[in-house]
Amino acid sequence: MNSAAWQRLSPRMLLVHPVHEVLNQLPLLVGAIVLGSATQNPVWSLVGVGFIVLMGVARWFTTSYRIDDRDITLRTGLLRRNELSLPRNRIRSVQTDARLLHRLLGLTVLRVGTGQEAKGDNTFELDAVSAEQVAGLRAMLLGEQPGAAAPGRVLATWRPSWLRYSPLSWSGLLMIGAATGIAQQAGFGHVPGRWVQAFGGPALAAGILLAGVALAVGRSLLTYGNLVLTRRVDTLHLVHGLLRIQEHTFDLRRLRGGTLRQPLLLRALGGARLDAVMTGVAGVGESSLLLPPCPSSTATGVLTDLVGDAEVVHGPLTPHGSAAARRRWVRALAVPVAAAMVLVFAPLPGWSWGLWAAGTVLAAGLAYDRVRALGHRVDARWLVASAGSLERRRDCVQTAGIIGWTVRQTWFQRRAKVATLVAATAAGTKRYMLIDVPAEIAWAVAANASPWVADSQWYA
Amino acid sequence: MGAPVLMADPANPPSRSAPLVWALGAAIPWLFIAFGQVVWFVLDARAPWLHVGAAAATALGVLVSVVIAPIWRYRVHRWEIGARAVFTRTGWLVQERRIAPISRVQTVDTYRGPLDRLFGLANVTVTTASSAGAVRIVALDVAVADRVVAQLTDIAALGGPDAT
Repeated sequence: MNSAAWQRLSPRMLLVHPVHEVLNQLPLLVGAIVLGSATQNPVWSLVGVGFIVLMGVARWFTTSYRIDDRDITLRTGLLRRNELSLPRNRIRSVQTDARLLHRLLGLTVLRVGTGQEAKGDNTFELDAVSAEQVAGLRAMLLGEQPGAAAPGRVLATWRPSWLRYSPLSWSGLLMIGAATGIAQQAGFGHVPGRWVQAFGGPALAAGILLAGVALAVGRSLLTYGNLVLTRRVDTLHLVHGLLRIQEHTFDLRRLRGGTLRQPLLLRALGGARLDAVMTGVAGVGESSLLLPPCPSSTATGVLTDLVGDAEVVHGPLTPHGSAAARRRWVRALAVPVAAAMVLVFAPLPGWSWGLWAAGTVLAAGLAYDRVRALGHRVDARWLVASAGSLERRRDCVQTAGIIGWTVRQTWFQRRAKVATLVAATAAGTKRYMLIDVPAEIAWAVAANASPWVADSQWYA
Repeated sequence: MGAPVLMADPANPPSRSAPLVWALGAAIPWLFIAFGQVVWFVLDARAPWLHVGAAAATALGVLVSVVIAPIWRYRVHRWEIGARAVFTRTGWLVQERRIAPISRVQTVDTYRGPLDRLFGLANVTVTTASSAGAVRIVALDVAVADRVVAQLTDIAALGGPDAT
């Protein structure tokens, strides 16, 4: 079908573009209004607003896209024309996003992910097409058969009970912190002091904590409400959001595994989150998210389904031995030992020893948990690496996707006869580390996973 | 896992002039620091112990980065190109062995800095689709580097699947 004609975005964007342009060009707008009032001539303000609205309208007329047999092409820009062209066989994921204004008008932003890191001008983004077109476009871009868009198998659906994990994140407190910072900048710096006087410190702290929890839960509800993860023939489809609906379609052929993440607090409540390890999708953050904090049975169930081998997800790991354990303990206890030296020689009050004891117990607990987490598992198809306590993760990476191995040893590691083994892949975070593997088995792990290492002339 | 499995080291050392180039490269910033100290001494010679301390620190820095590190690196650095993989050993305090399959190579780049040009050296970087997997073979004689690039591009048959 070389009938590929240049197509425009939805005409309804003629309404959205000017609004966005006004928001983007706020400084210019303020300038125009100030100029208008300063010169006592409101025409300047009107000219400013008119110019910005015109720019928005012009964006619609200057933006067009084309999908032909081989490439997809996007043309943008009024003065600086920009033409972005991608080979269709490089498309790895299709993401859609509908903010409130877009949803009211029945529009959806469509973003195409490739293997390259796309930033700014290099992002292939159709902002926006009408929502009815999206299913067809997505199927076409990902090369699905027309029949394959049939309803797939639902892997996970959001439940209100997932909200119990959201207070464990820092997002609410971060939002309050940001708001406080802005208030300080805006000249409300004296307000917190007055509040402390009015309500008392502890009550205020409790209030901030409660507000933080409420914000975190609210944000989680709005962002992840109605999440559905569906597996189709060769795509994985994720929809979430209450007001702003985001959809993400992953090409399953590019899936190289998954990362189960269990931060300490989340783990304590039996929760986990799941990230995709996929080519063309950043390894961290929103774009790789498959499941937000949810019961760990749900997360492991989905990962098992994707990996197709329960042993990879649940199976026991090979521990890294006594040298690795010793290094965890030395690191955790170095600070308490140094602190004890200070306490012995410095005239500090007796209660500081109580504080020291509590800190030491915490450090020991951390070391114990880190030793327990450390392990790996390797076979011809999957490499599993597990580590961490505060941020525990279990990376499951397909060995077919590993395109490089590094064995790194610091001076201390050489003395302890351990090494850090790094598997390089094009997917996810690009590097997956096995920390403090005994040096004599490091290359055996690599050779087990990658036949090209075992067959090389150096391996014996 | 049974008997310890060892990986033989890659065979080829870098160019003979590599330690000299590394030492010169490291000496240049130290020259500026030493010059600054001389200026300081000329302008203000009141606290002799401070000057002696600073000079000792500089001398130690020069010893480590201009003498010890280049020699140590020259003893560690090795590279070899096999039938199916590139293998290097690099570093001094922190040592790395890195192997990448030639079939997954995306680009082969040569880089020559001013000092490299002066001494007829070249650095070859072999990149794969992973940002964590690039293999760097540093401080080769130009003739060797050209041969390496030709050999790699020949085996790699660039344009095949790259595991993305």
